[in-house]
Amino acid sequence: MAMLSALLPAPRNSRAGPWYLVLACLVVVVAVVSWSAPLFLTPGNLSNVAAQITPLVITAIGQTLVIITGGLDLSVGSLISLTTAIIVLDLPGWAMVLLAIAAAVTVGTVNGVGIAYLNVHPIIMTLASMSVVQGVALITRPVPGGTVPGWISGAVNESLFGLPAALVWIAVAIILAAFLIYRTRFGLHLFAIGGNPNSALMNGVRVRRNIVLTYILSSLFAMGAGFFLAGRIASGDANVGTVFGLDSITAVALGGTSLSGGVGSLVGTVLGSVLVGVIGNGMNLMNVSAFLQIVIKGALLLAVVSVQRRKQIGL
Amino acid sequence: MAHTLEASSNAGGANHWVRALGRRLIEIPPAYFVLAAVLIAIALLNPNLMKPQVLLTFIRQSAPLGVAVLGQLMVMRARSIDLSIGGVFIITNYLLTSGLLGGQPVAVLVLAPLVVGLVVGLVNGALIALVRASAVIVTLGVSIILTGIVLFMSSGRPPGRVPDELRAIANARIDVVPVPVIIWVVAAVIVAVLLKTLIFGRYLTAIGSNPQAARFSGLPLPRIVVTTHVLSGLLAALGGVMFTAALGVGSVKFGPEIMMNSIAATILGGVTFGSGRGGVAGPFVGVVAFALLFALMTVFGIQEPGKLIVQGTVIAVAAIIYGMRTR
Repeated sequence: MAMLSALLPAPRNSRAGPWYLVLACLVVVVAVVSWSAPLFLTPGNLSNVAAQITPLVITAIGQTLVIITGGLDLSVGSLISLTTAIIVLDLPGWAMVLLAIAAAVTVGTVNGVGIAYLNVHPIIMTLASMSVVQGVALITRPVPGGTVPGWISGAVNESLFGLPAALVWIAVAIILAAFLIYRTRFGLHLFAIGGNPNSALMNGVRVRRNIVLTYILSSLFAMGAGFFLAGRIASGDANVGTVFGLDSITAVALGGTSLSGGVGSLVGTVLGSVLVGVIGNGMNLMNVSAFLQIVIKGALLLAVVSVQRRKQIGL
Repeated sequence: MAHTLEASSNAGGANHWVRALGRRLIEIPPAYFVLAAVLIAIALLNPNLMKPQVLLTFIRQSAPLGVAVLGQLMVMRARSIDLSIGGVFIITNYLLTSGLLGGQPVAVLVLAPLVVGLVVGLVNGALIALVRASAVIVTLGVSIILTGIVLFMSSGRPPGRVPDELRAIANARIDVVPVPVIIWVVAAVIVAVLLKTLIFGRYLTAIGSNPQAARFSGLPLPRIVVTTHVLSGLLAALGGVMFTAALGVGSVKFGPEIMMNSIAATILGGVTFGSGRGGVAGPFVGVVAFALLFALMTVFGIQEPGKLIVQGTVIAVAAIIYGMRTR
């Protein structure tokens, strides 16, 4: 419990944003879903939900780091796809892992250098790299298929002490990110950069280097999500990650993280991802058409960003 | 202009002249260089394609995109972005191919999507300028909703065919020039004249070069942003009609591609978020350059993934050149 409270931001910390709103939403949605679909609260379904949301939670955590600095990473979706495509390549385990890491670090570095050093807007830079990475993923794996190594499927589908492995993945991602954001100088600098990059620079924060680092981290988290997803769908698929680009932004925005930077929290992002997952699962249980779900998801996104009024008009 | 150049070269020596030339070169939107490079490549590699007839056929395919880009460039100059263009194309395609408007005259077929585009633009503009929500998220969200509505209404199956009257217009030519290209050029000239002559155009330049100063001078920023988004919605709908008429059938697949290409061509044409620079000609050339580049790649059997890579690289390089310039 003490550890949990150490990971949570202080309640009145304005830097965390209104994450309690998403908590309230989550309580209401869980109540509604479990009342109208009794299947929801069964252990089988809950572990299903956990496995469904894991890639989203991991991606959204990486996205949070970027958004806190005032950036945006649209390339995470295609990087997830590329990771699943690399995993099913016919390579020895260590080479495959190294290649996946190298791909993620390259994409993150290119994004970060373009944005921080070459003055390109984050949306344009990550949109461009999204396109390139998608192309590379399609070349690596033109059609879905291939075999995922046993150890990855095992790490995704086995259970540990009676808990689904998905929860372990989520826990590791949360602890890693919580340490980075709340227990290191780097984490503090993220908020400083997002709040005001100029005054951060004046106060000795290495703004550019830290921005590059956040994009690398965002790519690495997306790579982790790709590993989990590959184990779950048991194949490589160059289009499987597409939805995560936007879903991760939705989850982060739901969690009260300001898209103009400087304000945000890890707990908000995790709760936001869970909310997106529970709404999806609930609508599935209630037999809502998959296409109607897309509409509802979009409307939810609009509602969330409309609540967060910003100071400036624009991107 | 030539006179001043000459004078400065006499005063400052060759070195100065080279630097002035370099500065002038970097002022030219990257689109012109890409277009020149592609034309040279076509001439060298496959001279058979260097006929106006053939080139115009390639360009015709990009006329719908070109019309949509006219909206995107205004939105981006006002420091916003329109990612809902793909969604507008998709819902336009559905309206025209689902038989909802079956048997109506051509005027109705064209006007109905325009009304939808207008509404989409108003919603985008209101959420961005009045509620002050993030433009990226709003327009992406709207695009998702439009796509979802079409998928829901059509149960995921592409609907039917385009009415014959529209198809005939898309395939018509006046002399060698295809009608869609004429519509595109006319629309581009109208937008260019509007931006040059109306106060709205000057407002856009002012916001682009210095939003703070623009606000302190009392420019109606929200109204301008809403206007650009409404225009973008309308132009996207017109582009959608042209695209659907040329395609001939219903489809739900092309949305993201159109959205990406519209941003790519705009950036290639020298317009970035609020640079205060960039006219209509740059993005116009950007669309033509992309059309010929993709045609060239198709001729050489380069598939979709290769095109994605080239497209992303071109966007990034163009944006980096601009980023270094505005530093």
